[in-house]
Amino acid sequence: MTVTRRQTLAGLAGALSLPAFSGVSFAQAGGTFRIGALNPVTGAGSPYGSGMQKMILAAVEAVNAAGGAAGRKLEVFAEDTQTQPQAAVLAAKKLIEVNKVQAVLGTWASGVSLAVMPLTNEAGAILMNTSGAPALSVAPANAKGLGYRFQATNDRFGRAFAEIAVKEGFKRAATMAFNNASGIGNTEGFRKAWEAKGNKVVESVVYEPNQASYRGELQKVLAAKPDVIVTGSYLADTTIILREWFQTGENTKWIIPGWAANPELVKAVGNEVAEGLFSVDSVSNEQAPSFKVYDEAYRKAMNQGGLSNVYAAMTWDMVITLALAMEAAGPNADVAAINAKIREVANPEGTKVYSFAEGKEALKKGKINYEGASSVLDFDQFGDVTPDFGVSIVSKGTIERKYVVKI
Amino acid sequence: MEAYLVAIAIVTGIYVLLALGLNLQYGLTGIINFGHVGFFCVGAYTAAILSQHGVSLFITLPASAALAALAAWPLGLVSLRLRDDYFAIVSLGFSEVVRLIVTSERWLTNGVQGIPGIPRMFADLSGMSQASAVLGLLLVLNLVAIFAMRRMVSSPFGRMIEAIRDNEEAVKALGKDPARFKLRVLMLGSALAGVGGAVYAHYIGFIAPEQFIPLITFQIWMAIIMGGVGRVSGALVGTIILMVFMEGSRFLRDVLPFISEVEMASVRIGIVGLALILFTIHRPQGLMGDYTRK
Repeated sequence: MTVTRRQTLAGLAGALSLPAFSGVSFAQAGGTFRIGALNPVTGAGSPYGSGMQKMILAAVEAVNAAGGAAGRKLEVFAEDTQTQPQAAVLAAKKLIEVNKVQAVLGTWASGVSLAVMPLTNEAGAILMNTSGAPALSVAPANAKGLGYRFQATNDRFGRAFAEIAVKEGFKRAATMAFNNASGIGNTEGFRKAWEAKGNKVVESVVYEPNQASYRGELQKVLAAKPDVIVTGSYLADTTIILREWFQTGENTKWIIPGWAANPELVKAVGNEVAEGLFSVDSVSNEQAPSFKVYDEAYRKAMNQGGLSNVYAAMTWDMVITLALAMEAAGPNADVAAINAKIREVANPEGTKVYSFAEGKEALKKGKINYEGASSVLDFDQFGDVTPDFGVSIVSKGTIERKYVVKI
Repeated sequence: MEAYLVAIAIVTGIYVLLALGLNLQYGLTGIINFGHVGFFCVGAYTAAILSQHGVSLFITLPASAALAALAAWPLGLVSLRLRDDYFAIVSLGFSEVVRLIVTSERWLTNGVQGIPGIPRMFADLSGMSQASAVLGLLLVLNLVAIFAMRRMVSSPFGRMIEAIRDNEEAVKALGKDPARFKLRVLMLGSALAGVGGAVYAHYIGFIAPEQFIPLITFQIWMAIIMGGVGRVSGALVGTIILMVFMEGSRFLRDVLPFISEVEMASVRIGIVGLALILFTIHRPQGLMGDYTRK
C-alpha cells in the first residue's frame, strides 16, 4: 500500500485535531484545584520519575478521600519532562496554558527546574522541585518566592559530610564525584566546609558516568593515601567502585550519600565489602507516621519499599503540604494566598501532624506543623529545606542509624 | 492555549534551522553528519557565554553562527576526505568531544552545573508579546535560510554539490575538488545549527552539557527523513510532523483514558517510533520527497 501525500496530510490534520474532541479537560471546572505532575518518567530521571508521579496521584487520592482541601478536590494532570529542559518547557506550557494548573509539582533535574521556573513565575503558579542547584533558591529564578525545594541542596549534603568527617576524626579526606551537578555539588560543598575547618582534601576525582570500571580513578585517589573517601555518587557506579576498591585491599573508610548507600548496595556488594560504610541521608523521617503512610502507598504502587525512592517521598509531601496550605487559606483562596500559607503549615510552632486528614482536623484548633515523609520540611526564606542528616554505619549487612548531624 | 502553541512553534522554528542545515549537508551534498548537535552546542554556549558578559543579541547570533562554522572547519579539513560512513563515525565522535569539553572546562562553561540566567531575547517585552517577538525572529531567520538555500540549489554551486552527492568520482574526473565544496557545505550547515543553538540558549535560559546529547541529532535526522531528504520543503514539513507527533501525543490521554499517567510517557515515545517505521515503509522518500527519481 502506498499512501499519497494528500492522505498523509489528512491523517496528520486528523491527529492534530484530536485535542478538539477531548474538550472536557479544557473546560474550567469549578470546585477543583488543578495541579500538574511534571516528572522525569523517561530519560536520565526515569528510575525515579514513575514512582514520583504515582506518589503524587496517590497523595491526591488521599487528600480527596479526606474530603478535599478547603472544600476543593485536587485534580492532577501528568506530564513527562523526558529529563530534557526543552521537552519540559513544552510540557509545562501545556500544563499551564491548556490544563490551567495552578501548581507544578515534582521537577527533578536542576536544568529542568531552572527552565520551567520562569514559566510558572510568569503564570503565578507554584513550583515544587527536587533539584539541587543553588541558583534555584534566589532571584532571578525564585524572584517571586513561588518556588519550593523539597530536597536538601547538594551544598548542605557536603556540609553534613564535613561535619561527620570531623566528628569521626578523619584527617586526610579525598573525594570522588559523579560528573553531574548533583555529584559535584556534594563534593564541592564538602570541600568548602572541610577546608573552612582547616583541613585539606588530598585528592579529588570527577568521573564520567556509565563506565564498566573505575579502577583508574580509584587508583588515583588511593595513591594520595586518604583515610576517608567522600563521594557524590549513585547506586550503579558506587557498586562498581566499592567492589574494585575491596579488591585493592586498601583500608579506607567511605562516606556515601544515602541514595547510593542503601540496602540495595549492601545486597549488591556483599556484607564484607559494605562493612563500616558511612551512609548519610537527610533524616527522611522513617520513624514518623507520615513515612509509614507514604511507605504503604509506595509499596502498593511500585512493589518496593518507600526508602528506595527518596524523591517519591518528596513528591508525596508536596501534595500534602500544598493541600494543607489550601486548607489553611480557606475556601476559594487564590494561589498567592495559598502560597503565603505554605511555610505556616510546614514550619514549627504548631501541632505536629503527619497526614492530610490529621492536619485538616488540627487546623480547626490552631496552627500546625506538617512533618513530612521525606524530612521535617521546614522551609527557609528561600523555600529551601534544611533537614537534619542521619549517619548510618553498615554493620553485618544492615544499615544502622548511629547519630544525627545538624548543620 | 495560544502561549502553548507559540512555544511549540518556537521549538519547531529552532529545529527547522537545524534541519535545514542537515538537509544541506546530507540531502544536497551527501555528507552523513551524525554530529549536528555538536555545532548546536557550540552555538548555544557561544551565545550564553557572550551574553553573560553583556554582549547584545545582535552580536551573539552572528557570533554563534561564526563559531559553529569555525568549529566545523578543522573537522572538515581532517575528515572530509574519508569515505561517507567513516565521516559519520568521526562526526558522532566530534559531537561527543564537544560535549565532554563543555563538561570539563569549568572555568568557561561552568561544567555540569550549566549556565543559568541567560538573558532572554526582547527582554523589555513580556509574556505573549515577548514570545511572539522570538517567534517572529525565528520566522525571519528561517525565511532567510530557506531563501538562501533555494538560491543556492539553482546556482552552479548547488549543481556542483548535488553532483558530488550523486557521483563523487565523476566530479573528480571533471577536475573539481569535492573536498573544498564539502567543507563549505559543512561550515554553512553548522552555522545554521549555531544560530539555532543561540536562539535555543536565549529562549530556554539555561544550558548544561546534558542537553546536547546525540538524541537531538537523531531527532533532526528523523525530521528530514520523514519530510523528504534533499528538499528544502522536506526539512520544514518533516520538523513540523515530528513536533506534531511529539506534542500531539500529549493529548492522547484524553482519548485513551485507560492508559495510566505514568505509562503514557512511554506510549508517547512508542507512537513516535511507530510513526517513523510506518513512514519509512510506506513513504521511503519522505512526505515531500522527490518522486521523479527512482
